[in-house]
Amino acid sequence: MRLELRDITKQFPGVLANDRISISADRGKVLGLLGENGAGKTTLMNILSGLYRPDSGEILIDGETQVFRDPAEAISAGIGMVHQHFMLVPVFDVVESVALGSEPVSGLAATFDRATARARVVELSNQYGLHVDPDSKIEDLPVGVRQRVEILKALYRRSDILVLDEPSAVLTPGETEELFGIIRGLAAGGTTVIFITHKLNEVLEVADTITVLRRGRVAGTVLPHETSREELANLMVGREVELTVTRGPANPGETVLELKDVFVRNDRDEMAVRGASLEVRAGEIVAVAGVQGNGQTELVEAITGLRHIDSGHIKVGDTLLDEAKPRKVADLGVAHIPEDRMRDGLIKGMTVAENYILDSYHREPYSSTGRFDRVAIAREAAKGVKEFDIRTPSIETTVGSLSGGNQQKVIVAREFSRPVKLVVASQPTRGLDVGSIEYIHRRIIEQRDAGAAILIVSTELDEVLALGDRVAVMFSGRIVGVLPSEQATKEAVGMLMGGVH
Amino acid sequence: MTAAAAPANAVVPAASEAERRALQRARIRGIVISALGLIAFALASNTMNSEVTFKFWVVTQGKDFVQIQTTAGMFWILTGIATGGTGIWQLWRGSSTRWRRWLILWLPLWVAAVVSTLLTGKTAVLTNAFAGTFEYAFPISMGAFAALICERSGMFDIAVEGKLLVGACVGAITASMAIQWLGPDTGMIVGPIVGPLFAALAGVGIGVLMAWLAIRYKVDQIITGTVVNFGALGLTNFVYLRVLQTYTDYNTPPTIEKVDVPLLSGIPVLGPILFQGTPYMYIGWVVMLVLTYFLFRTRWGLRLRASGEYPQAAGTVGINVIRIRYRAMILAGAIAGFAGSYLSLHSAGSFQMNMSAGKGFIGIAAMIFGAWNPIGAFGAALVFGFADSTQQLLSQLGVDVPPQFLASVPYILTVVVVAGLVGRVRGPAMAGQPYEQG
Repeated sequence: MRLELRDITKQFPGVLANDRISISADRGKVLGLLGENGAGKTTLMNILSGLYRPDSGEILIDGETQVFRDPAEAISAGIGMVHQHFMLVPVFDVVESVALGSEPVSGLAATFDRATARARVVELSNQYGLHVDPDSKIEDLPVGVRQRVEILKALYRRSDILVLDEPSAVLTPGETEELFGIIRGLAAGGTTVIFITHKLNEVLEVADTITVLRRGRVAGTVLPHETSREELANLMVGREVELTVTRGPANPGETVLELKDVFVRNDRDEMAVRGASLEVRAGEIVAVAGVQGNGQTELVEAITGLRHIDSGHIKVGDTLLDEAKPRKVADLGVAHIPEDRMRDGLIKGMTVAENYILDSYHREPYSSTGRFDRVAIAREAAKGVKEFDIRTPSIETTVGSLSGGNQQKVIVAREFSRPVKLVVASQPTRGLDVGSIEYIHRRIIEQRDAGAAILIVSTELDEVLALGDRVAVMFSGRIVGVLPSEQATKEAVGMLMGGVH
Repeated sequence: MTAAAAPANAVVPAASEAERRALQRARIRGIVISALGLIAFALASNTMNSEVTFKFWVVTQGKDFVQIQTTAGMFWILTGIATGGTGIWQLWRGSSTRWRRWLILWLPLWVAAVVSTLLTGKTAVLTNAFAGTFEYAFPISMGAFAALICERSGMFDIAVEGKLLVGACVGAITASMAIQWLGPDTGMIVGPIVGPLFAALAGVGIGVLMAWLAIRYKVDQIITGTVVNFGALGLTNFVYLRVLQTYTDYNTPPTIEKVDVPLLSGIPVLGPILFQGTPYMYIGWVVMLVLTYFLFRTRWGLRLRASGEYPQAAGTVGINVIRIRYRAMILAGAIAGFAGSYLSLHSAGSFQMNMSAGKGFIGIAAMIFGAWNPIGAFGAALVFGFADSTQQLLSQLGVDVPPQFLASVPYILTVVVVAGLVGRVRGPAMAGQPYEQG
C-alpha cells in the first residue's frame, strides 16, 4: 500500500518536534528515514502508530485520509511497528508475545487458543524465513531473535506497512545483514517498509528512497544511487562535517591498565565477565567492540570501582584494584565517562557547577574545613565551561535542561579537569549529534597524545574502528580477540562480535 | 592415594574464587543443618514417654472418631532423620544441592514435633484444628487474591486491610438492616445475601477511588493505600462507637451458618475437615480455581499480565491498559470487600473495632509467599491459617504458653520461610508504575 504523510506538525511544550513533515512510501518499496537524535523521527512514527495525535496534517493510505485515535486503529489500518526498545513482555513466550492484542479465543471465557496462534506463528516464520522457536521465553532469546519476534508480531497482524525504528542498534554486523535480507524479502512480497536510522551506510544499502529529517523538518529527499555519505551527513547536520577523525600514529609507553582473568557478576548474580584479560598502555587507545550485553557494562563498572570483582585482578599502574571504591580509583588518575550519562554521570537536578565538582567537591580549592568555597567553585566551573565549549546559559543552570551533547561535555570537562592517567569511556557518544561526536572524539585523542591510556567501550562499530589503535572484541564475557587497527576491518571485527573465531 | 581418587581430582576444575566460596558456604550450611538434626534426636530422647493423642471425627462432630496415640519423641525422631538427612546430603553433594526444597519436608515436621511436645498428655481434636485452618485462611487468601489481581495488572494494592475492614462494617450493617426492615423471617434469608453483596460493593468503591487517584492523577499507590487503611480504621471506629453502640440493632446481623456439601461431607475424616464449613470457604476455593484458569489460560489473563509486566508492550498492540487496570481494581475491591463480610457475618455475628486485625497485610505476604500465583497464595494462606488455628487449639487445651508468643510465631516463621524457601521470587515488573502512553 502507498503511505503518505502530509504536513504533519506536532508541538510539545517547548519543542516543535515535527514541523510540516511530508513523506511518502510506495508499495513494495523501502523508505529510509534518516536523522539525528532529536530530529523528530520517533515522534513522527509515534504519530503514525497512533500513540500521538498530530496537531495538524494528515495521514493517507492509498490516497484515503486516516485518523488514528489509538494504536489499535493504526494496527487495523495495516501499520506494524518494530520499536527501537522491543515491546515484548520478557516473561511471555514467543507465541504469547506475537498474539498479544490479537489473540484467537474460544468459548465464553475467551480462552486463549494457543494451538491456533502457535500454528500461525510457525507458518509465518517458515514463510518469511524468520526462524524462532515458538515456545521459548522472550527473556531467554538473544536480541537478534527478539527482533524477529517483533517483525512476526507485525506480520501476524497482516501489516502492509512495516516501520522499523533504529532496528540495527542492537545487532551485530552479521545480524544486520540478515535483517536487510528480511527487509528486502518483505518488500519484494509487497510490504511497504519504513526504515528509521541515523546510520548513513545502512540507508544507502537498503533504502529505495531516503528522506532526511533535521530539527523536525524534512531536509531533503534523495535517491541512494544519486547521493553520497557526505551529502547525507550534510543534510543531517546542516553543515559540512568531518566523518572520520584524524589521528596520528600511537606512541605507546608502559602498561597503565592491566586486566587478568577478571570475573564479574551482573545484577542478576550471573557471571557476566568470565575471564577477561587485556592491557592498555600509555599513549594508545584500546577500543572494545561487542554487541550490548556481552559483559562490557560490568567490566567497566569493575574497573571504575562500581562493581565487586569475583576473581582475577585489575591493576592501574602498580596499584592493584582490589575492593577499590570509586573515589580511590579516581584518585589514581582514572577518568570515567559512563555508559548511562543520566544514571552514573550526572545528577539531573543539580547545576552545571555542582556537577562539575562532583568528584572533588571535598577537597581544595572547592572546600576547606567542610565548607564550600563558592567563589572558587564558580571560577573553576566557568573555566571548564569555556574550555570545553559547553553551551549553557550559566553555570547555575540545571544539567537536566542541557542538550545531550552538552551534558556529555560537562562530564568530559569534569573528568579531564583532574590529572588523567587512564580514561575509561563507555559509549562516549551515544545519542549525540554528529558535531558533538566529532568534538568528544577529538578531546579523547588529545588525551592520548598527552600520554594517557584510553579504554573505549562502544557498541558502535564505526566509532571503535575510527578511534582504536588496537581493537579488542568482547563476546560472552571474554576478550576474544585484539587486532591492531590496520587489521581491524569491519568484517574481521564483525565475525568476532558474533562469536566466530 | 588410590586410583579411584584420581579421576575425582581431575573432575574438579581449577575452581574460581566464586566456586570456592560457594563450596565453603555449602559446607557451613550442611554442618548447621546436620547440627539441627542432632538437636532433634537429643530432644527425642527426652520426649519418648510424652504421650499425645490425636483425635479425628469420622463424619459427625462428637460421634464416631478415630484416634492415634503416639509420643512427641516419635515426631522428633522423624524430624531428626529428615533434617539430619538433608544436612548430610548437603555435605555430600556440596553446593549443587537444592537444599531449599527439603525445607518443605522438615520445617512442617519441626512444627509438628514442637506442637506435639506442647500437647504432652493431652488429647487434641485435629478435625477441628484442620477445619479451623481453612476457616482462618479464608480472609487471608481472598486478600491475597485481591492484591494479586492488582499487582498482575500493574497496580499496587496495599489497601486490602482497609477494604476488609470496610467490608466487615458495611456487611454487618446492611445485613442487620435487612432484618430490621424486612422482619426476622425474610431478613434471615435476605440478610446473608445482602450483607456480603454490599460489602463487595463497598470494596469496589474503594477500588475505584484508588484506581482513579493512581491512574488519573498518578498519586503514589503506597500513599493512597496507606491513607485508605488508616481512613478505614478511623471511619469504622467512628461508626462503631457513635452509631452501632447506640443502635445495637444495626449491629446484630444474621450469622452465616455452616452448610454441608452433599455427598462429599460424608467422606470419612476428610468430610468434616473440608466439606462441613461455611459457604465462604467453598467460594474461596472456587475463586482460587477460576482465577488461576482466567489468569493463565484466557485472553483476559494474558492482557492483564502484559499490563503488569510491560504496559508499553500492551499499549502498542492496541490494548487499553488503563481500562484493564480499572477493571482489575474493581474486581480486587469486590473480592476484598466480600471477604471482609466474612469477619462480621461468620462466627462473630457483629462488627467489632479493627476486626480485620492485620489479615489484609498477611494476605499481601501470602501473595508474595505464593509467588503471585493464586494456588501458591492459597497455600501460603493455609500456613497462616494453621498458625492461628494451632494457637486456638493450644489455648483451648490450656497449654501454658504465653499467647503473645504464639501469636508472633507465624510471623517469625514467615520470615524464615520467605527468606529460605522462596528465596528471590519475582513479581510483575511494572507493579505500581503509572502508565503513560507513548
